[in-house]
Amino acid sequence: MSSEEGAAVAPYIPVTTSSVLMSANKHFAHFCRAQNKAFLDCKRADPNPEKCLHKGLDVTSCTLSVLKELHEKCPKEMDAYAKCMDYYGNEFKLCRKQQQEFENACPLKA
Amino acid sequence: MTELLIRRRKGMTSVKEMPVLQDGPPPGGFPAIRYARRIPNSGPGGVVIFLVASSVVSYGLYQVGQGNRKRRAYKQEKFEARKAILPFIQAEEDARFVREKQKYLEEEARIMANVPGWKVGESVYHTKKWRPPAARRIYADYQ
Repeated sequence: MSSEEGAAVAPYIPVTTSSVLMSANKHFAHFCRAQNKAFLDCKRADPNPEKCLHKGLDVTSCTLSVLKELHEKCPKEMDAYAKCMDYYGNEFKLCRKQQQEFENACPLKA
Repeated sequence: MTELLIRRRKGMTSVKEMPVLQDGPPPGGFPAIRYARRIPNSGPGGVVIFLVASSVVSYGLYQVGQGNRKRRAYKQEKFEARKAILPFIQAEEDARFVREKQKYLEEEARIMANVPGWKVGESVYHTKKWRPPAARRIYADYQ
């Protein structure tokens, strides 16, 4: 059913299941490298959760923004890959076809 | 009486004249039975056998090495993925923990409001380092 005129479309909230995260791991490693490193350095210095909350917020927002961008650019390939990973318990070698399609559709250098 | 029927001959006058009926060899005798060893000394020698066996073993071990390389590559891919995801999961858990800790401290303050000299959220340790909360239940008979 098509959306009516003037109806507000709900903003996309990424679902961060393990299969989705594992599917997009290369994008996280590439786009959120600085935030991840800063957070891990903070944790290594002081494991107290209260001390690294702000850096953790950076990490979370970066991850969610990457997922939103992937949803905009290549939703079908991303969903297919995540579904395959979910089916096979996050085994990369069983989802090579979907992985290839996903990486062709949403390359890392974009 | 069956003997008489089998071994009867014409012109016999007595049982003692019956011909002897024996189970014996065929005319000309039995054919000769071979019982001598016949182990030929032909075929590949020891050197050839050793080379063939060692080549098969080497090929197998080479395939083992190739398989190990492949498995190491799979493992590395999996661990790289986990490394990329770890900060996000840890950040989420930290935020959840801090929220829960706030609720817990408020509850503790409410319960111990009338107890004099009680410091809410006081650490049970002397060190200032971060200690994760103890997760064991304390039973009454704990020695």
